[in-house]
Amino acid sequence: MCCNENFEERNLGEKITTSLDLSDISGMKFFDPHVHMTSRTTDDYQAMADAGIVALIEPAFWLGQPRTGIDSFIDYYSSLIGWERFRSSQFGIKHYCTIGLNSREANNEQLAEQVMEILPQFIFKEGVVGIGEIGFDDQTAAEEKYYRLQLDLAKEAALPVQIHTPHRDKKKGTQRSMDIAIEQGHAPNMVIVDHNNEETVKEVLDRGFWAAFTIYPFTKMGNERMVEIVKQYGSERIMINSAADWGISDPLAIPKTAALMKKSGISLADIELVTFRNAITAFAQSGQIDEQDFLKIKHIDQSQKYANNSILRGGQQPRLNKNSIIIS
Amino acid sequence: MPAMEWLLHKVNLIRIEDKSVQLHLSFSHLPRITSKETIVLLNEEEQQIAALMPGLAINNWTSDKLSRVWMLMQLPADEKETYIKKISGLFAAAEMNEQIALYAALPLFHYQEEWITKCEEGIRSNIAPVLEAIMYHNPYPAKFLSQPAWNQLILKAFFTEKDISLIVGINDRTNEALTLALKDYIQERLAANRSIAPEIYQLTQQIKP
Repeated sequence: MCCNENFEERNLGEKITTSLDLSDISGMKFFDPHVHMTSRTTDDYQAMADAGIVALIEPAFWLGQPRTGIDSFIDYYSSLIGWERFRSSQFGIKHYCTIGLNSREANNEQLAEQVMEILPQFIFKEGVVGIGEIGFDDQTAAEEKYYRLQLDLAKEAALPVQIHTPHRDKKKGTQRSMDIAIEQGHAPNMVIVDHNNEETVKEVLDRGFWAAFTIYPFTKMGNERMVEIVKQYGSERIMINSAADWGISDPLAIPKTAALMKKSGISLADIELVTFRNAITAFAQSGQIDEQDFLKIKHIDQSQKYANNSILRGGQQPRLNKNSIIIS
Repeated sequence: MPAMEWLLHKVNLIRIEDKSVQLHLSFSHLPRITSKETIVLLNEEEQQIAALMPGLAINNWTSDKLSRVWMLMQLPADEKETYIKKISGLFAAAEMNEQIALYAALPLFHYQEEWITKCEEGIRSNIAPVLEAIMYHNPYPAKFLSQPAWNQLILKAFFTEKDISLIVGINDRTNEALTLALKDYIQERLAANRSIAPEIYQLTQQIKP
């Protein structure tokens, strides 16, 4: 979740016309455990696939403005397991999601009650790898109430929890999120604490939780800072994500950070843990991640013919040449 | 617990509940128990199915799809309103593979005329495998759709480059409105310099230029 209003400053800068060079990391596989694809374009999907992202997790969140009725939640959750997952598969990327009531909308108690009633319908769906993103925004009483209730639900369903930590009063909010998870009976290894920074990481790791870092321009972590964190804390239980959404964010945050880590002399084994393996280990505790599926979905042959017709099977997207002025 | 035992146990729970809690839970939980392997069908089983319901073929179905359809067939149907409400509830929260099973089960539901709107809604889907569940080897659309809805299905099939030969009743339900729409479509494709599926010519009985 973003936002910044420095558009004047942004637009003043020179337009960048150079192209991105990710050759340092070509052949590597990446897993983005936090990215809101419903807000992204097909160009993003194509670029992510090209940069080596083989699978992703889309946490349920708010839409940039509050929903006004329960049906909006139902439609949103079912789009995460339906249309969006199909859209992703067209680019050879395996799509998972976490389902939950986000902290901002937990403050609309009347609606939150109704959401709690429909959540059980969704948490056992195929490819739902956790309850998320839940936790604190403003750290209100209502937020705490629905955070606790959803922690109970996660426990009952034996699902990992993906915690959003607040932008404001972050350190205390993060501590409180962990305290409450423990109070509700969760083992730290079932909890992924997201949006960490230099101030929160030590305690999160010391207490045995997973520490996720969001590489998000301007408002969250930059990736040079991330390199320093991996140098200092190593790669155990640390993972990075893009949290790309409708704000100015970067769905290539993981491959770019991997490239920067490599340039900075971090070992390939550590890079692999932070950009791929740790996220899988954490969320596979749901029993819903099978790495074979990453390959299966990749093996979509775009030119495969069916019954002698040059029909694209399964609706795979043909590649668009972005560098041509011709659109055919 | 072996898959068959699990299914029988769940179906017992589903048959006696008033609400849809067990139905929702087991319908989504099912692939974790049954696996998603493609089923192996004997020739004589294929023939039996074709004899029981002409047009229906389940050759490429997966275990979870077959099991889900079977589970749906076990729902008590004596109370029409409850029956329809329960199945509609599954449609409302269905993920892709659940939608595939639900639409493939259309010809096997009770109160057949009640699912026409659902079928029409499915044809509007953008998800290729969901469309295929309605279009391929499914006798429901040809039997129950109105002419405009049927024509929409055929046009959409061409538009989304489906294998037309797998649509049940494709030749029996040609009609003038469809022929005209397809001829327009041919002109449109020609004008745009795009290729034309040979089946369109067959269906409109035109000679390919």
